[in-house]
Amino acid sequence: MQEPLIAFRQVSYRYPRTRHYALKRLEFGIRRGEFVAILGENGAGKSTLCQMLNGVIPHTRGGRLRGRVLVDGLDTRQGEVAQLAQKVGIVLDDPETQLFTTSVLNEVAFGPENLGIEPDEILRRARWALDVVRLGGYEDHPPSALSGGQKQRLAIAAALAMMPDILVLDEATSQLDPVGTVEVLSIVQKLNHNQAMTIIMATDKGEQVARFCDRVLVLHRGELLAEGTPRQVFADQDLLARITIRSPQVSQLAAYLQRHGRPLPEFPITLDEARRGIEQIVGEQPEA
Amino acid sequence: MSPMIQYVPGDSFFHRLDPRAKIVFMLLMTTIVFVIQRIWIAAAVWLSLLALWRVARLPFSTLKQMSKALLGITLFLFVVQALFYPGQTSLIYPIIPETVPIIGGVGRITLEGILFAVLIALRLFAMVLILPLVSLTTPVQLLALGLVRLGLPYSLTYAMTTAINLIPVLQDEANVIVDAQRLRAMQVFEKGRFWEKLRAYPPLVTPLVIGAMRRAQLIAVAMDSRAFGASKHRTYIQDIRMRLSDWVFMGATVLYAALVVAAGWLIP
Repeated sequence: MQEPLIAFRQVSYRYPRTRHYALKRLEFGIRRGEFVAILGENGAGKSTLCQMLNGVIPHTRGGRLRGRVLVDGLDTRQGEVAQLAQKVGIVLDDPETQLFTTSVLNEVAFGPENLGIEPDEILRRARWALDVVRLGGYEDHPPSALSGGQKQRLAIAAALAMMPDILVLDEATSQLDPVGTVEVLSIVQKLNHNQAMTIIMATDKGEQVARFCDRVLVLHRGELLAEGTPRQVFADQDLLARITIRSPQVSQLAAYLQRHGRPLPEFPITLDEARRGIEQIVGEQPEA
Repeated sequence: MSPMIQYVPGDSFFHRLDPRAKIVFMLLMTTIVFVIQRIWIAAAVWLSLLALWRVARLPFSTLKQMSKALLGITLFLFVVQALFYPGQTSLIYPIIPETVPIIGGVGRITLEGILFAVLIALRLFAMVLILPLVSLTTPVQLLALGLVRLGLPYSLTYAMTTAINLIPVLQDEANVIVDAQRLRAMQVFEKGRFWEKLRAYPPLVTPLVIGAMRRAQLIAVAMDSRAFGASKHRTYIQDIRMRLSDWVFMGATVLYAALVVAAGWLIP
């Protein structure tokens, strides 16, 4: 069986100067090329989990880490953040705090420059990364002049220029409007499909998970409550009600129909699936 | 409002100078402004800096803003120096006779006091022109690179440039907090008296500082995530090179500084 690219082995963590564990006994693996959602409400531990993947926890944040986090076989406790940054790119929720240079090109070049890569190679990577996120031609623009969606795309480009195997989106679309959200997630989906990049997306939005992800890990108060495909997770309405996460509206409708003895042929998580299911039922109805 | 030290794109002679030449200019000019003791030299230095402002084709509106901000301090300086400078030539005689112990002589305004206040004001006005002449004409990235090439550690220069970048962000955050306070009917900053305004600052500063600390932590995470400090041999996509014009400018700055110091010593 294929070794997971990311493995959490009985991981518990608490921040400095707290007694409360932000994550408790997490045990799971993520395979190369998967698009995985970490689904949970505010305070569930999603950001903490994301920052463990590139070693910011415990190296920068401190705190007490129990268990082992393995990224491509490397224990994050042993690996330096800089070393892990080449394997794991991370995009945070607030675009303002992750863009800190004066031009788009400088922003994308910042990471590779830190690694001491030759300028020609940096420029090649920067052009590629900006093309991927459709920001080619914006090289000389100041990041502050970009829209919210463009800023997050730039943050993705900045992560991509490090040539990571894994891209982590920590609520990266939470501050974007619907257009910006689709812009960002479509690019990420392409990276997953075309470059087989492993994507981990922390979110509390069921609709996004249903549309983009292969697998879901449900986190609640630092514990892993459930794991499965989006369909399996969203079909468990009791679980979602317990953690105050909303499943996609079509799934809620399907659950309602199911409760009232009118189940759809297949439990839908997207609008297309619901439409197909309803058409099937309507098609089966005898003519009046 | 564009901050007074944020880069203004342009193609003037000053914009094209190597950052190192401008850093040397900044250090030398700051030093001579500190050591000037004569009014006419201070005035000459101030006028030279104004001329350079023109050469750099920088907006005079920024200059106006800065001067406006300095007016209060200048006025205070005049009052303090005029009243308390130990001069001999009285322009206005004391309200309380000199013979009265402790408070005797209060109210005297001397010519030396006024002249000293003028000198300080000129030095102050000259001083505030120096940093903007460099920061408004040099992208912060190139300024950092210039400092690195002059031998400063990258982490230190980066801390400085990040701080400069954060100024407009903090200004925006302060405006948001003031707006939030206004929405709850707080009008101290528009209509309040001096002491009321002073009392209103802690509620403004506290969320600002907490927000800045949170932001600093997030920036640290973002920088670490992009391998900040990973290699001892950091590379740069931009390069800077000292050209003949940079050496000439640097030489002229050194000569100018020497002349100013010599003039102070030699001419009575």
